[in-house]
Amino acid sequence: MDTSLHAPVFDVQRFSIHDGPGIRTTVFFKGCNLACAWCQNPESQDVHPVVSFYQNRCEHDFSCADVCPADAILRDGFRVDHDRCTLCLKCVEACPNDALKLIGEELGPEQVFEQVLADEAYYQSSGGGVTFSGGEPTLYPAFIDTMLDLCNARGIHTTLETCGTFSQKRWASILPKLQLIYFDLKIIDDTHHKVLTGLGNQRILENARYLVAKGYPVEFRLPLVEGYTDFTDNLEQTAGFLKALGQDKIHLLSYHRMGEAKIDIINGDQPKIGLPTYPVQKLEDITDWFEQEGIVCV
Amino acid sequence: MQRVSHTLLNMDDASMSSKPCLHTATWMPSETVARLRAAHDASAPGLGAERAIHYTNFYKTSREPSAALKKAQALADHLARRSIQIADGEMFAGHHTEHRIGAICYAELAGVVMLEDIFRFETRATNPLHVDPASRRELLLSVIPYWLPRNLAAKAFPVSKVVRNVREQLKADQFIIPETGGIAHFVPDYPEVLAQGTDGLRARIEAALENPSLNADQRNQLKANLIALEGLEVFSDRYRQLAEAQGRDDLVAVLNQVPRRPAENLHQALQMLWLFQMVIQIESLDQGVSLGRMDQYLYPLYCKEVADGTFDADAFRDLFCGFCLKLSEVIPLFSDRLTEMFAGLPIGQAITLGGLNADGEDASNDLTFLLLDVIDQFKTRQPNWHARISAKSDPAYTTRVFEVIGRGGGSPAVFNDEVIMATLGQRFDAPDRLWDYATIGCVELGIAGASCTSSDAALFNYARILESVLGSDRTVKNIGSMDDLVAALETELRDQVAFLKENLDAIETSSRVHHPVPFSSLTVEGCIEQARDFTAGGARFNASGIQAVGLADLANSLAAIETLVFERGEIGLLELAKACRNDFTDHPGLKARMIGAEKFGNDKARVDQIANQLMALFDEVISENVNTRGGRWMAGIYSMTCHRSMGRKMGALPSGRGAGAPLADGIAPVDGSDCLGPTASLNSVAHLNAYNFPNGINLNLKFDANTVKGKAGTALLQGLVKGYFRQGGMQVQINVLDPAVLLAARENPDAHRNLLVRISGYSAYFVDLSPEMQDEIIARTLQAA
Repeated sequence: MDTSLHAPVFDVQRFSIHDGPGIRTTVFFKGCNLACAWCQNPESQDVHPVVSFYQNRCEHDFSCADVCPADAILRDGFRVDHDRCTLCLKCVEACPNDALKLIGEELGPEQVFEQVLADEAYYQSSGGGVTFSGGEPTLYPAFIDTMLDLCNARGIHTTLETCGTFSQKRWASILPKLQLIYFDLKIIDDTHHKVLTGLGNQRILENARYLVAKGYPVEFRLPLVEGYTDFTDNLEQTAGFLKALGQDKIHLLSYHRMGEAKIDIINGDQPKIGLPTYPVQKLEDITDWFEQEGIVCV
Repeated sequence: MQRVSHTLLNMDDASMSSKPCLHTATWMPSETVARLRAAHDASAPGLGAERAIHYTNFYKTSREPSAALKKAQALADHLARRSIQIADGEMFAGHHTEHRIGAICYAELAGVVMLEDIFRFETRATNPLHVDPASRRELLLSVIPYWLPRNLAAKAFPVSKVVRNVREQLKADQFIIPETGGIAHFVPDYPEVLAQGTDGLRARIEAALENPSLNADQRNQLKANLIALEGLEVFSDRYRQLAEAQGRDDLVAVLNQVPRRPAENLHQALQMLWLFQMVIQIESLDQGVSLGRMDQYLYPLYCKEVADGTFDADAFRDLFCGFCLKLSEVIPLFSDRLTEMFAGLPIGQAITLGGLNADGEDASNDLTFLLLDVIDQFKTRQPNWHARISAKSDPAYTTRVFEVIGRGGGSPAVFNDEVIMATLGQRFDAPDRLWDYATIGCVELGIAGASCTSSDAALFNYARILESVLGSDRTVKNIGSMDDLVAALETELRDQVAFLKENLDAIETSSRVHHPVPFSSLTVEGCIEQARDFTAGGARFNASGIQAVGLADLANSLAAIETLVFERGEIGLLELAKACRNDFTDHPGLKARMIGAEKFGNDKARVDQIANQLMALFDEVISENVNTRGGRWMAGIYSMTCHRSMGRKMGALPSGRGAGAPLADGIAPVDGSDCLGPTASLNSVAHLNAYNFPNGINLNLKFDANTVKGKAGTALLQGLVKGYFRQGGMQVQINVLDPAVLLAARENPDAHRNLLVRISGYSAYFVDLSPEMQDEIIARTLQAA
């Protein structure tokens, strides 16, 4: 098998209903070039596969630790020591309760496409399709390019979710094959962006302008994280940026706490920001504010 | 396309006094309806003992040798004497029993068996029933002693076998035969009833009596039809006189026209239907007597009212609410034992909406939409609402159907025309009638007005076949491959089906010989023409519906055996069989390994194929049988709540299901075993060949209120069901969750692993959420509800 197109995929989630129109299958890639403080898919940041541990399913019979040749299962804290783990997956097989799972697998586009086809009837009946998400899917242009050809040949709608860090040169021939692009605008101020996501945003903003100038079907999204992205300056700058691009629509994504639980599951080192789910009242206020600015919130 | 009235209604015609405001989400039942409902809800259900007492007294004194005449006379006698009332504000005359809300004791059928709870009806926690002391005394002293040795089951078997049969029935571990309580489960030919009135029906019977070649039984049958028909007229006249005495001119006017003459407006039509529903359900079992395609056969009267300028959409919807309350007054007399198998007071008066017309085009019309408004705004226990959907359906109709479903209450259930018509076409030689199929009872299917499919004849515990095979060491020792195992299952299946056949034949014969139904018969095409009773095969189409229970458990068990025993050799079959017998207590790790094997409901080809092959085998064995009415048996897959009662009496299974756990509900995957979401689960179900279950299936899907709310939610449900239908799915009913289910999932996550909930921005499996997050979702669902 040609493995040159393979990419690390951590989930192919069927019946995805919030990642584009209709009923979709979302392909989640592992690896991201940002490291947002609020990251809600912490298991996707690292490009490497990882053995995850679901404490609520564990019945503490230590069948995992008993079979681990690398002594990577910490008996006291019920965690996986990733430095020791060799990904032999003996523990995953041994656990009778499905409490251990491998997150991330190198897959080829044809393999993923085959999985995606299982729900083709629902894409047709609901106006749905396939969404590439992550992580940052634009790290895998060859994989996605191949899958887009396969999807387009069967008339399956495709959506890309990106943080906007992609290389224009590499993506110039791929972008026209997409039916929808969800583009995250997290923070407009370059310094703030760098502090909170680990990377400046010049390229991101440039890519945003590029997509609009080219007339690609792009829709912008703003993750609302209390105290991180929802401060007045950022809202005003975001609105200004959109207006300058002639955009009148934004998706507001409320922060939720799911990501923090996942930090434990992968025994990750991302600090927890300890925020509750984004307050409904604040969401409504921000929605009203954008709408007064002439920008529709969805 | 029935769009006549759209044109009519859209005309800017000043002569039209009231323009119906069609299918608006803003319509609400009037204050009058609210008051009527409050009075209905406040009425305590009572045991309707008069029928049992009147029938007993009649049978004790009657010397009539013809069973048909005797049953007709008993019915007419009862209808002439039954206590009647018309309550304040009621839109229709007539009650199912002498109480406003009541359960009939069919003493001569299985009613005596239900009276095992006669001292508990009033005090039981679930479904208490008022019994007045005088009735109780009469039941104890007269009714029970008379019918105990003479009821349907008692007469069905030689004395030596009665005890065994009754015991088997009450245990119901391998199968239960609801037909022991009577056949019912049919769609009367209501278009004919409405068009003819009793005068027209009488003329038809009298014309049939002119036939000189009739034998004595046939003459008696037709005479019995006439007596029963007159019984209904007398019953109706009594209500008309009462209405006159109470100054209810509105009802008097209606009852002056119907039942004798054809209904001339919608109010008369609904009153006529209710009179027939009452008498059919007084005559024999009140189960599955279904109203058929009401939006179709009421449509001509609707058009007439629109043309006259007398149609008022609000008044009609109110009237229909009143009709729903009438249907809800019928409750079954179940002992606690039966309630465990058939919980929730099922009656099964189904109404079918939408579908196709004779030309194969969409049949939805204005009435369809008005009735959907009623479902939307007026949730009642009865009727069972069903919506037919096809590729031809008007998008406005399907959208409205899913909008109503999205708001909760589980109604209407949806049925796939293409699959159902093709499936029924395999079993009934009626290519010209398939478009006119209607639903029966809960989920069953039949050609309206012309069928006696006894769709609820028996429920058969398919999973228990494996338990029996694994229960014998000698049998297990001879099984060395999957082929051997399937062969052993088939042998056991054939043995048990043969035993079922012996029992069911005896019950059918007893029905025919002792309990013909001359009134029901005159409403079914074929019975008058052939001068033959419904119980004797008089209907044009005959069948018996036999349900498989526990298909998913059986398929999962076979898949687990194939993987762990025959492929990996992790355990011997005998050792596994013994582990199942002691509920895995000696093999703690084994249960988890068996659970880890592939399960039906995850769109996995191998286990789905096993399920398909098992169902093909079941259908093959079932369909070889012909009932005493000349109809072939048909398989179905639904379980009411028998999957619980039957599962409770079973040991562990190789699927990893523990002893006493419920079996899978209907055709659905085992609760919690489908882990890839609804599309994967629906694919598994849709991949089962529908030709193997022509009697119908039940598939319940659950969603939380946040996932399916609003327009997006409606579109989502519609897309999901259409994708399932396009792949061959037959039926589905969607439950929008109840916070109580979320609470249960929090307490017992393993049983709710497939429960999908909406988090802000995306969905997750509820059981994968932290306790705090679960609490948040529960709080949010409580809010949405």
